[in-house]
Formats: sequence, structure tokens, C-alpha cells
Amino acid sequence: MDSAPSPLPSAHGMPTEVYTETVPATRPPLPVKMVVAGGFGVGKTTAVASVSEIEPLTTEASITEVASGVDDVSLTPNKTTTTVAMDFGCLTLDPTLKLYLFGTPGQDRFGFMWDDVTEGALGALVVVDSRRLDDCFPAVDYFERKGMPFAVAVNTFDGELTHPIDAVREALDVVDEVPVISFDARDQGSVRDSLVVVLEHALARAVAAA
Amino acid sequence: MSKQGGRQQNPAGPAAGRDGAPQGAGADRASAVRPFMVTDGRVAAEAGLPVETQVVATAEGLGKIGALAFERRAIVEACGAPLSLAEVAVKLRLHLNVVRVLAGDLRAGQFLAVHVPRAGTASDIDVLRRVIDGLRAIPTSVGSRDAD
Repeated sequence: MDSAPSPLPSAHGMPTEVYTETVPATRPPLPVKMVVAGGFGVGKTTAVASVSEIEPLTTEASITEVASGVDDVSLTPNKTTTTVAMDFGCLTLDPTLKLYLFGTPGQDRFGFMWDDVTEGALGALVVVDSRRLDDCFPAVDYFERKGMPFAVAVNTFDGELTHPIDAVREALDVVDEVPVISFDARDQGSVRDSLVVVLEHALARAVAAA
Repeated sequence: MSKQGGRQQNPAGPAAGRDGAPQGAGADRASAVRPFMVTDGRVAAEAGLPVETQVVATAEGLGKIGALAFERRAIVEACGAPLSLAEVAVKLRLHLNVVRVLAGDLRAGQFLAVHVPRAGTASDIDVLRRVIDGLRAIPTSVGSRDAD
């Protein structure tokens, strides 16, 4: 990356000096991730794009890959090979810390996929279109069940909030600790602040559990 | 979803050709090779590797890269600087889980160093604080109608 190469950490106990000119002695950053979830078309990818330092990438993944314990594809039922597109972006917070943001595919039928992506995530932002609240129920249920810290963020399309936040909170019936906020998925600062809300919630829980 | 090379039901036959025809049948955005052929039909072997796991070529791996071909070689070549498994999948247009399996192989062969985030990172207070501070520190003026 930036600085002069130094010998690689000799993870494999072999001399690395010979190759140091060609090998950037880059120590990988600590990778952390957050999940941006919600129904179809609520602005997940837009939110990821607003803060990501790269154009959001789409990788194709399928449910088969998380059929853990199955080591023979022929044993995997057809229905578990559905291919889903997963968008993600990233933010290098400092040379030793990189935040990945994964937009989970919209619908509840991708439950397995979610487990695969959400495992180990710091927290989740559940994006909501207040005109279609039902769409976010699977996501809210999922994170509640998983015990993962999350916040609900109502996307204010064109600055309009069709329903007051309190009404949204009531409709979602989430516990008081879960933050319910409004944000603009197109605005970098707004998305950044929303992620901070999720993390502060996660931090409060971690501190309480410590 | 769209039609895909995928949906492999049976492990790859030996003559299937792991490199496949590069621009051959099914040459849409996905590889023409059915996803799990390159892993000899193995799936989920490395399911424990989180998608953000960092992989980086080792000096040893780059030194003996001639021993590799096709996807395995491409992965090592792509990882001169650390990348997440997800980024490798996108870069090489490979199925995420194929990358997981191959990364496991390449680690075993000492071509790649695989840095798996420590379990418990997600609830680590120091990590959470660092991420919060890091996010707050990013300038928000670029391309945004602004906030602060």
C-alpha cells in the first residue's frame, strides 16, 4: 500500500527476503462488517453506495454455500441452490481497520444467506420504507432472534417522512432499546450517522454485558 | 434469479475441464464453469470463513506461483495486497463459496495467508469504539449534499 515493504510476517517460517520486492508487506487490516437489511427497493444499496469508498460490488452467492455440514453437492436439494446477489461496499477507517457493509438480499426466503453474511457482524441497519412497513418485518424478526444489535432507519425519500417515527416504532413493536430513526439513504453523512447509531447501541450492550 | 452457470447437482466429472472454455457456453457475467467444478464438488468445507476474511499472497506463494493454474493462480495473483473473500469473488467472478474452498486449499499449500477475524470481535468494546471514532472522522462533504 503506502509504506516501504518490510519482510512479511513469517507465517510459514520460511525466508521471505528474496521476494520482498514483489510482495507488498501489507498487513491486512482488521476486517469488521455491518449489515444493511430491509425489504426490496427500500434503499439498501443506495445507503451502502453513499458511504462506501468503492462503487458497491455485487457478488453472486447461493444458499447452497451455507448448507453447512453437507459436503456432497448431490445431496443438496434443488431449492437451496438459488443464486442471490449480494451488494457490498467498504470503508477504510484507518490502515488497520476496514469496515465492510453488506446489503442482504431483500426477502425472507434468503434466511440461510443471511446467516452466512451476518455471522460476526457488529450490527445491522434495517432500512424501512414507511409506506411498506411490512417489508421489514422479516429483517426485524431475524435480528431480534439472532440477538444482533440493530437499528431501524426509515428512509425519507425526498425528505418526506410519510409516517411519524413514533408510529413506525409502535407498528414495528420493537423494544425500547432499539433505536428507530429517520435517514436519507442518498446522503453520506446521514448514512454514516445511522451506522454510528447502530454501533452506539451495540457498544451500550457490550458495555452492559461486560 | 437469472440463469447462471451454476446449479451443479453432481460433483464434477473428471473430464469436465476445470478451466472450462473461457468464453464458451454461458459466457454471461458468471464463469462458464459450473461453480463447484473447480472445487471438485466440495462445498461448505470452509464455510467457517467469514466473507470479510482477509487473504493475501505469501512471498512463498508468489515465488512458486508457476505451480498453480486457472482459478487458484488467479486468486494468488489477485491477492498481492490483502482482499476480503467477497472482493476476491467479485474480482474473479467466482462464486463466493468457491473462493472459500480454494482459499482453504491455498492456505494449506502456503500460497495464501488467510486472516480470519477473531471470534468475539463483534462485541469487543475497543473495536466498537474504534469503528465509531473512525466513522465520525470521515469527511462527509464529498458527493453529498451535506450534513455537517
